[in-house]
Amino acid sequence: MANFNLRKAEPKDVPDILRLIKELAKYEEMEDQVILTEKDLLEDGFGDHPFYHCVVADVPAEQQCSLTGYSVIGFAMYYFTYDPWIGKLLYLEDFYVMKEYRGFGIGSEILKTLSDTAVKNRCSSMHFIVAESNKAFIDFYKRRGASDLSLQEGWRLFRIDKENLLKMSAEE
Amino acid sequence: MRFTICAAKPEDCKDIARMIMELAVYEKMPDQVKISHKELERDGFGPNPFYQCLVAEVPEEHKSKDGHTKVGYALFFYTYSTWKGRTVYMEDLYVMPEYRGKGMGKALIATVAKVAKEQHCVRLQFSVLDWNKPSLDFYLSKGAEDLTAKEGWHFLRFHGIALDNLAQEAP
Repeated sequence: MANFNLRKAEPKDVPDILRLIKELAKYEEMEDQVILTEKDLLEDGFGDHPFYHCVVADVPAEQQCSLTGYSVIGFAMYYFTYDPWIGKLLYLEDFYVMKEYRGFGIGSEILKTLSDTAVKNRCSSMHFIVAESNKAFIDFYKRRGASDLSLQEGWRLFRIDKENLLKMSAEE
Repeated sequence: MRFTICAAKPEDCKDIARMIMELAVYEKMPDQVKISHKELERDGFGPNPFYQCLVAEVPEEHKSKDGHTKVGYALFFYTYSTWKGRTVYMEDLYVMPEYRGKGMGKALIATVAKVAKEQHCVRLQFSVLDWNKPSLDFYLSKGAEDLTAKEGWHFLRFHGIALDNLAQEAP
């Protein structure tokens, strides 16, 4: 299998993007945590002020997996962020290729396309997070020149969830 | 001490750049600051801003020994979770040392939380250096969870030459 096409996602891709998001969540054993709907994805990605950008990988009709029948077989979701020290950055939020289509270089091509997007948009860096238990992914990225800032500089990721956000905003 | 928290204006960028450098010095990485107030103005106040910023200001009678009335800031932007949707990432939160302990840090983060709520965001994320105990304690007291400890998340980066090399291989 060799032919695949990487392109910017369109509104019609939203059902496939949500399907792939849920597949990736299932792989991470957290499928019940996906509360996003097709309506959210459409509004948030294709409205006047998109919260995210997406590229999808699709295969020609004759190469669709006979088991699944899907032509959109991978995606990457990203957005632009800001570092007050160096300016614009590209943040890679999610990156996934269906199991049946791995090992053909699709993941590598997606990563290269995104890094090209980062450079063309004057971004100094591409950032993302990976669970430390996911050794295969960490090795994949490190082989391509990524640095682990949690190990190197001691950065720890924190979160304040909605319940505590509401408490804090009421305290003001 | 009275203070106000307001959305930053373009003319605040010189003060914001000054405080960014003060925070970088505290984080022991001042040589990593490569942008000035000019980039901050261009990137924060054009038709497509890349960040939002709040500034804490005190009245003239409480100005700092160097004559500054803008004494704290919070810089944040919108991000997206494929599981939950709209989120806010707080990139920087800083109050000048002589103005700490007066509720400004708490007011800045509470205002970020308020903006997040108005934009229907489901969570606020940020990162903290592992040795920064005062900040770690402050955030934990507000209900923050350390996801690096709890779930093993690590920050990775493709930067500089590594990014250029990867891009050159793009189809």
